[in-house]
Amino acid sequence: MISTLEEKPHVPAAPRKRRVPGWAVGMISVAGAVLLLSTTSYLTGFPQMTSSGTTQTAVRLALPILLAGLGGLWAERAGVVNIGLEGMMIMGTWGAAWAGYQWGPWAALVAAVVFGSLGGLLHAIATVTFGVNHIVSGVAINLLGAGLTKYLSTLLFQPLSNNPRQSPPVQPFDTFSAAGLSDWLRELENEQRVIISDVAGILGGLVTGVSPLTMIAILLLPLSYFLLWRTRFGLRLRSVGENPHAADSLGVKVYLHKYVAVIVSGGLAGLGGAALVLNPGQLSYLEGQTGGRGYIGLAAMIFGNWRPGGLLGGAALFGYADGLQLRSGGEVVLGLVYGVVILLGVIVVWQLYRRKWFSAAAAIVVAVLMYLLYITLDEIPGEFVSYAPHMVTLAVLAVASQRLRMPAADGVVYRRG
Amino acid sequence: MSSSTSVGTDEHPAVVLTGITKRFPGVVANSDVHLTVRRGEVHALCGENGAGKSTLMKILYGMQPPDEGTIEVDGEQVRFRTPSDAIKAGIGMVHQHFMLADNLTVQENVVLGAEALHGIGKKARARIIELSGRTGLNVDPGVLVEQLGVADRQRVEILKVLYRGAKVIILDEPTAVLVPQEVDELFETVRGMQAQGYTFLFISHKLDEVRAIADSVTVIRRGTTVGSADPKTVSSRQLAEMMVGSELPSPETRESTVTDKVVLDVKGLRLLAPDGTRPILDDIDLVVRSGEVVGIAGVEGNGQTELVEAVMGMRKAGGGTITLLDKDLSKLGTLARREAGIGYVPEDRHRHGLLLTQPLWYNRILGYQTRKPTSKGVWLDIDGAKKDTERIVADFDVRTPGIDVPAAALSGGNQQKLVVGRELSGDPVLLIASHPTRGVDVGAQALIWDEIKRARAAGLAVLLISADLDELIGLSDTIKVMLRGRLVADADPSTVTPEDLGSAMTGAGSTSAAVHETATVEEGEN
Repeated sequence: MISTLEEKPHVPAAPRKRRVPGWAVGMISVAGAVLLLSTTSYLTGFPQMTSSGTTQTAVRLALPILLAGLGGLWAERAGVVNIGLEGMMIMGTWGAAWAGYQWGPWAALVAAVVFGSLGGLLHAIATVTFGVNHIVSGVAINLLGAGLTKYLSTLLFQPLSNNPRQSPPVQPFDTFSAAGLSDWLRELENEQRVIISDVAGILGGLVTGVSPLTMIAILLLPLSYFLLWRTRFGLRLRSVGENPHAADSLGVKVYLHKYVAVIVSGGLAGLGGAALVLNPGQLSYLEGQTGGRGYIGLAAMIFGNWRPGGLLGGAALFGYADGLQLRSGGEVVLGLVYGVVILLGVIVVWQLYRRKWFSAAAAIVVAVLMYLLYITLDEIPGEFVSYAPHMVTLAVLAVASQRLRMPAADGVVYRRG
Repeated sequence: MSSSTSVGTDEHPAVVLTGITKRFPGVVANSDVHLTVRRGEVHALCGENGAGKSTLMKILYGMQPPDEGTIEVDGEQVRFRTPSDAIKAGIGMVHQHFMLADNLTVQENVVLGAEALHGIGKKARARIIELSGRTGLNVDPGVLVEQLGVADRQRVEILKVLYRGAKVIILDEPTAVLVPQEVDELFETVRGMQAQGYTFLFISHKLDEVRAIADSVTVIRRGTTVGSADPKTVSSRQLAEMMVGSELPSPETRESTVTDKVVLDVKGLRLLAPDGTRPILDDIDLVVRSGEVVGIAGVEGNGQTELVEAVMGMRKAGGGTITLLDKDLSKLGTLARREAGIGYVPEDRHRHGLLLTQPLWYNRILGYQTRKPTSKGVWLDIDGAKKDTERIVADFDVRTPGIDVPAAALSGGNQQKLVVGRELSGDPVLLIASHPTRGVDVGAQALIWDEIKRARAAGLAVLLISADLDELIGLSDTIKVMLRGRLVADADPSTVTPEDLGSAMTGAGSTSAAVHETATVEEGEN
């Protein structure tokens, strides 16, 4: 009874799959998103969907989310879940307003970073040194941030603004527009030509009325990528989030790297707070101003699969949803539903191609429901519209979180030995 | 494997440990340990689990400071405060449990902590490719570690050590996770590297392997070195008796107690991977009779865990029936299946068997919360649980200061004895034992084997999953080989050798008459 089995002996090395490089995925996604928006805007007849005004608002609203998400990225790549981003962001808003009304916008940025970092330091002490559960510590920091700033603003802002919930006005940044380019794009946008005008609108929004803070935030993204993925420090930091025991056995200072990561995380969240305070629409501290953007930032990062590129996509999505509802209201947000139907159509075709029958069927059902919603409603009710970004967060996370890969030791308290 | 390779007599030994003592609260892990490793040799350190091998190696690798004693490397006395000090002195360690970050690439894992040598970019990559050849690793440095198999992960670990310029390499139980063929490959790598001048400290309690690879052997027992031996003249039995200090246990079962009464009958059991693409369990048919031990052999990750979890109801099977004594279990939950008479020794007692922070008597209740003697109607019977825990502690020789200490305070062997004792308590008709003696000392192993044999003689049906092929062959009445979710071969434990089983497990085909292929070629998909 000697015979060979039907399967071959195992091959030691799995052949490497040919993968599309990350930058190409990014470019394709951007192109796809622009194409989707242009098509939707054309088919629904809402040019506001791709106007430069909407884009400008979207960028302003995406900034705090982007910065909070970056903060989350730093902490979680080092293995510390930072649900306290919201609290650190609140501390950042207060710091920005306090320094901003006295010494101008640059001081506001510095103070926001310092205040946010203090929140991060607290989180690091609790989670890294004392091994407190990351969620418990994070929630505590959220409560602390809200309570502390309430106290401080009653103490310091009320005498000046006669309102315990608001700071005196803060001096804004000067904004810049790309000379020539900005005007040319506006002309192109006004010609209302399919696709070209849409692209011009989106680009125009990106290069018009840019504040230094926007540039800093946009630069922080590639900078974070470079630091975390292309330097020795970043490799060590990520290894701490993947397998701290292994890192420790190789002489990596686990606690130090976690501390640095969480403090930077707090600083970035604080900067996100400054972006809210220095937003041209408000220009002061307001109680409850963050409105859960710390959490949305965290969600954007999770949506982005703990990668900077994906995080940018998440922040842009939430910022855009928010910007659109602010600029244009319920009618146009309903147009977005139409866009979702188109997107689902593409997904259906893709899933059918990959022979994922169940996913395809689910996508068809959702698409039909969305379409019924679109043709039966005239506009989305106002109460609901302002909640659009949160709904988008919920929907996106429910769908996207199926295939995500978080750092292996994320949220695990590490003890030496 | 010549011991004469560059073993210089005029040079200093590579490593000398003198009078090492290390105390932990309540235990002396090492006392007065002496060890001399000559340059260019493979030196084996043997001892039971818990004998203090690991502590000693942690001291040599700078992870823990010794309380007393000195370490000399190349004739110079050294003091290691951290592993980096040891690395600088040319000592590297390959841990038993791999110290790899799965989501980082091979290159990132290798250069981590040693970025100062060649950076983290192209130069490092070139160096890694250059060193890969020495370890037999044949993958691109840009591949994620999670895509590698066990043997390749181990090569990455060795590569890490080489990259740091280690000359003395500690291999901590390197064969525990490998099948025999992979062990042979590892040994070839070790010999090749030995010829290039590397020194190895090989930690193991598998004596045949020690005798096959080592140039000299030091035996450690209860924290102290009890002697050295020449592996060429000493027998495995003599070595083992040095390790244990007494007569040896054996998993051997003598006469067959198999009856005709079918206890567990699994028919056509199927399970799909979560992504729905490939089957994890593919049409499994399995019968376990009263008084019979059915062993499942297989390289880890071929579906054994899922088979057990599907039978226990911890995973929802995709199809097929599971019958226990003519009762259909297929639709029942885990608790109901346990109540129907299945005892379960899980493969990872920390994840599934015990609540480490809870006292022993509390752990006695787990899984028996609806049954006597740990419950009365809807109420838990704390007194009954405590009383029965006392019984288990006495009958199964669980060494513990009391039944109120948390389970975490017990050693692995005693935890396992508690789990086995509990699972044999509810009058089970079927015992599912996944790696019942993994990570336990020889004493506990002997006791667990004896208890399984006794229960079998009393008519218990046992489904045994183990990576320890000697255990599998010794205890089982029938062995089935599992490969990629199928039972592909039967083996007769009275004639099969571990090597034959190993071949069948990797799917390399069998050369032995003791292994019968059972799977017929059905479809030509792969």
